[in-house]
Amino acid sequence: MSLYKIRVAGLEDILQQDVIDLKSLRDFCFYGIPDCNGLRSLCWKLMLGYLGPKKDTWSATLAKKHELYKQFIEEMVIPPGDGEQDRSGCVDHPLSDGPESNWNTFFKDNEVLLQIDKDVRRLCPDISFFQQATDFPCESVVSHNRERKLHVRVAPTTLSSANVERKGLGVTKINLITKRANESYEAMDEGQEAHWEVVERILFLYAKLNPGQGYVQGMNEIIGPIYYVMASDPNLEYRKHAEADCFFCFTALMGEIRDFFIKTLDESEDGIKGMMAKLSNLLREKDLEVWTKLRDQELYPQYYSFRWLTLLLSQEFPLPDVLRIWDSVFADEKRYSFLVKVCCAMIVLLREQILENDFANNVKLLQNFPPMDIKVVLKKATSLE
Amino acid sequence: MAAGDPKWQKDASDQNFDYMFKLLIIGNSSVGKTSFLFRYADDSFTSAFVSTVGIDFKVKTVFRHDKRVKLQIWDTAGQERYRTITTAYYRGAMGFILMYDITNEESFNSVQDWVTQIKTYSWDNAQVILVGNKCDMEDERVISFERGKQLADQLGVEFFETSAKENVNVKNVFERLVDIICDKMSESLDSDPTLVAGGPKGQRLTDQPQGPPNANCNC
Repeated sequence: MSLYKIRVAGLEDILQQDVIDLKSLRDFCFYGIPDCNGLRSLCWKLMLGYLGPKKDTWSATLAKKHELYKQFIEEMVIPPGDGEQDRSGCVDHPLSDGPESNWNTFFKDNEVLLQIDKDVRRLCPDISFFQQATDFPCESVVSHNRERKLHVRVAPTTLSSANVERKGLGVTKINLITKRANESYEAMDEGQEAHWEVVERILFLYAKLNPGQGYVQGMNEIIGPIYYVMASDPNLEYRKHAEADCFFCFTALMGEIRDFFIKTLDESEDGIKGMMAKLSNLLREKDLEVWTKLRDQELYPQYYSFRWLTLLLSQEFPLPDVLRIWDSVFADEKRYSFLVKVCCAMIVLLREQILENDFANNVKLLQNFPPMDIKVVLKKATSLE
Repeated sequence: MAAGDPKWQKDASDQNFDYMFKLLIIGNSSVGKTSFLFRYADDSFTSAFVSTVGIDFKVKTVFRHDKRVKLQIWDTAGQERYRTITTAYYRGAMGFILMYDITNEESFNSVQDWVTQIKTYSWDNAQVILVGNKCDMEDERVISFERGKQLADQLGVEFFETSAKENVNVKNVFERLVDIICDKMSESLDSDPTLVAGGPKGQRLTDQPQGPPNANCNC
């Protein structure tokens, strides 16, 4: 048997137990989850705590969560006046600005949605995955033509004078309101949805359910890899529910890293500045010369590591490498201490260049990490233990 | 960084500038700041940029009036969450490109807030140009040229409409900003000759208390 097959068999062995030993699972996944049989999708669900170790609870958990997610969609995605619940005399209308008005909320939501819409359309532009149609569009959305699609709510609307038609004396008919979609992320045919539309809905629901945090740019980069893994699960039963599962896995992950996205927590230990300080301290300990050079150049960690840490390195490496890094990060029980080590390894591996470069070249180098075998980076990170 | 360092030799031509200006591009998210910078520095356009988290950086050297001016251009994240991180870079910046999107009312309404940010966090003499980007999207325009111009007049800054996509006025904005900074510099030199105590040639006149100054200065 090849080494790869041995690893696959080893992991499947762990997963076959009625009660999965999370410790062995983490130890195993730390060295990378084999890219087959939907193993990553399942292991991430376990390591993020979405599924519990007891296997016989899974089907009940999943059914419950899928039902809950369906409710979220009905309550929060379907526009007011559209649902069946709205037949009670109808005092609510779009021009009502009372705090109780669903329409008031609707228009406020659209501001959040506008930002999400712009960002999901530029998600992982180097691969075509997110622009392709999903096999499992959300039925209650696509069954209503286009009106329940979130991006339609915020599509730029143009009303040009040519469309205003006068008939005889009094009647003015406005003929055509054109909505224009971004060319490359063209809306799908009737009854279909692209993956980016699904991601848009998940982020929107997350923002609605976490109003204190809302949507922050960069969350799209965090959700991208998770969704990709869930939506390309070869197991049909899992793939069907990629949207709901991704929502809960993303929520679980954000529960751990949400401090990175909250400005007022920047100074706290788990906030982003605390993380950058940890990285800087580790670098000083492991490579004083490089640390001193960067300090003397006044090249502050914020210039590069803010993005590295906030986005869990998702913008620094191609997607397959990001998945590999996240295997280790999710397997790390102390969670983000390994992430800090990976970042430190990245800097140490560039030491020769850093020691020679001037300020500008060093900023460029660190902001555009050069292509490098991810195994080398992770090996270095592990050696920093 | 010793002069005998081989890398230093290789980079010598790059170091050979008369002035270095630190510039920042600011404005609401998705107005096109990153595209604008890419158009200028790399002469390329793609609508497929990821959103900027934190701050990005490019360098370009230009010639203005027989002077080599090295521009250090910082591209900032637009969203509110990132303000505290990005305003830390305002100090030492000599010029700002304050950008809105002519198809987005809110980005225009935020211009005043951005001006307040500049006043609060930057050097008093920092120069600003107001830029209405995406002027290729005439069909979706919601901010007329006149409204942009009027606001710029009120703020006492210069104004351009640009298109990073069609490459309209991008270079002009940077060149004009460099000129304004140069003018401002000679004004302050006239009024305060002590500023040139070290001799003007090769001396950076950036007057920056903070930021990344020494990296390029071997003199």
